[in-house]
Amino acid sequence: MTRSRVPAPVASGPRTLVIGYGSPIRGDDAIGPLAADALAAGPLPPGLRVLSRHVLTAELAEDLAAADRAIFLDAAAQGLPGEVRVCELEPDASAVSTMAHFLDPRELLAWCETLYRHVPQAWLVSAAGDSFAYAGYQLSPAAAAAVPAMLAEVRRIVAAPLPHPAEPV
Amino acid sequence: MSRIVTIDPVTRIEGHARITLELGDAGEVRDARFHLTQFRGFEKFCEGRPYREMPALTARTCGICPVSHILASNKACDDLLSVRIPPAAEQLRRLMNLAQITQSHALSFFHLSSPDLLLGWDADPAGRNIFGVMRQHPDLARDGIRLRQIGQTIIETLGGKKIHPTWVVPGGVAEPLDATKRDAILALLPEGLEIAKRTYAFFKTLVPRFTDEARHFGTQPTLFLSLVSAQGHLEHYDGFLRIKDAQGRIVEDRVPPADYARLVGEAAEDWSYMKFPYYKPLGYPGGIYRVGPLARLNNADACGTPYADVALAEFRMLQERGPVTSSFHYHYARLVEIIYALEMMERLLQEPEILSTRVRARARSNRDEGIGVTEAPRGTLMHHYRIDDNGLITWVNLIIATGHNNLAMNQSIRQVAQAYVDGNRLQEGMLNRVEAVIRCYDPCLSCASHAFGQMPLLIELQDAAGRVVDRLARA
Repeated sequence: MTRSRVPAPVASGPRTLVIGYGSPIRGDDAIGPLAADALAAGPLPPGLRVLSRHVLTAELAEDLAAADRAIFLDAAAQGLPGEVRVCELEPDASAVSTMAHFLDPRELLAWCETLYRHVPQAWLVSAAGDSFAYAGYQLSPAAAAAVPAMLAEVRRIVAAPLPHPAEPV
Repeated sequence: MSRIVTIDPVTRIEGHARITLELGDAGEVRDARFHLTQFRGFEKFCEGRPYREMPALTARTCGICPVSHILASNKACDDLLSVRIPPAAEQLRRLMNLAQITQSHALSFFHLSSPDLLLGWDADPAGRNIFGVMRQHPDLARDGIRLRQIGQTIIETLGGKKIHPTWVVPGGVAEPLDATKRDAILALLPEGLEIAKRTYAFFKTLVPRFTDEARHFGTQPTLFLSLVSAQGHLEHYDGFLRIKDAQGRIVEDRVPPADYARLVGEAAEDWSYMKFPYYKPLGYPGGIYRVGPLARLNNADACGTPYADVALAEFRMLQERGPVTSSFHYHYARLVEIIYALEMMERLLQEPEILSTRVRARARSNRDEGIGVTEAPRGTLMHHYRIDDNGLITWVNLIIATGHNNLAMNQSIRQVAQAYVDGNRLQEGMLNRVEAVIRCYDPCLSCASHAFGQMPLLIELQDAAGRVVDRLARA
């Protein structure tokens, strides 16, 4: 029996999924979902879908497998506060959380590869945080200032043609 | 000379914990403990906040089951307002809870426990994980993802796409359900039920393979605590507290949730950050009880939906007489509850009342104390608040499902360790069974305390002086 939900063919242009994730009560850890909310509040180009999550969970694998391009927005614990970095992600089955109720983006991409045989081209856009204290409900000034730069990186990635066509693996 | 074996951290659970096994001179297990190793303190830092913030604050307890906290917290706030919420609001909250149970149980069964169940307790740990399941059982793994997606989609359709829905509010819900959304949810349910049924049918074929585990995985006699409906049926949102004993006798019944403190006391130990709730009339630690899917099915007279009632009858046959006492059968109970949740959601959505626009009762605080009790996926969830004249929180007590099971989890790992662990010849498969009995309970340690960061698995055998005499590391 085969019930693979193969991604639908591309109708017009690449399908991009943006996922911002982090805890809303741990200060700058919330920068991912807050940046995603800011992106979703503006006009979105066709084919762009935005999600905010506390953590990355299993069901996102199917959403990712249906996308040609994925952009993860997250806080970074390393780096100068407010520093924005962009890196391309590859599937990595070894990036397994010991807890398994939340997932690493590379692990989710590996789920796509193993189960759906389709992996979106993926980037991580991160901003270094200053404070991750409990019961912190606001971004630090440095993190707040990084949100526009994160969104600029997202727009730059979305505006560029895909480096190579997304093919089933 | 006694020795200690440490399993640190326990894997494929939510949060950080470690297990220590105390070995006697002959290598036999003398005692075992489940330690919650990190502290969170929600009950303390909520003090001083306006009570209306409590649903949003406590939802942050967990990235996995925020809906459970939102519902229990709002029920406590309803109590502070002294209102009876409109019937449609109650049914909509119930709907969201069932969607949460569907997706949470799916994660537990398909992704956290399936590596043990499908690949074997003694399989190479390098491949005994979700990727091993995906390679050998890709259809089942995709089913698990789809079931979670269906649950999440229903929650988002009802509550919006915020991280933690703010649609449930004190007094009811913020917006009624419209016909378009109702139809969109209804359209998802047949596929979900089909997945649930075929998974249940498949799992039934596996159960006979685990006779030995079922005999040793937490078969201790305990009480069972859960909500039941006014008719004594399976209930996840409201109703009354019922307690049955290991022989199936009803010990407490029709207890209003607001009277929980008459039944439940809480003890603390200096070796864990998780509290140890117990049944007060039997004292501590004799008042051991279990909550969650196993307890709910044992306590309910019936599910009240067609296919789930068939599955419940089959569940009861797992044991010759009395309640099903093996914690191994939490897995079975979870699958029965997924079927129930999908059937019940369809029933709720077929009722015309579900589209009523009367969904919120408005009031100011009219009471100094409020209690809200629901059934979260892992068991009974209790929120209890006190406020001052300005509506500011002065005291909070949260009794989380995982906490209720604390005594039982400790007793279960002791039983499993004594059955499987030979301290003279540590093998990974032995220790995996000790972890696996904890996974039966699907503990959420984020809710019970705290969960961030990662550590490699390290098992150490130490002598009484603390010297490491053997070590087993898992990458």
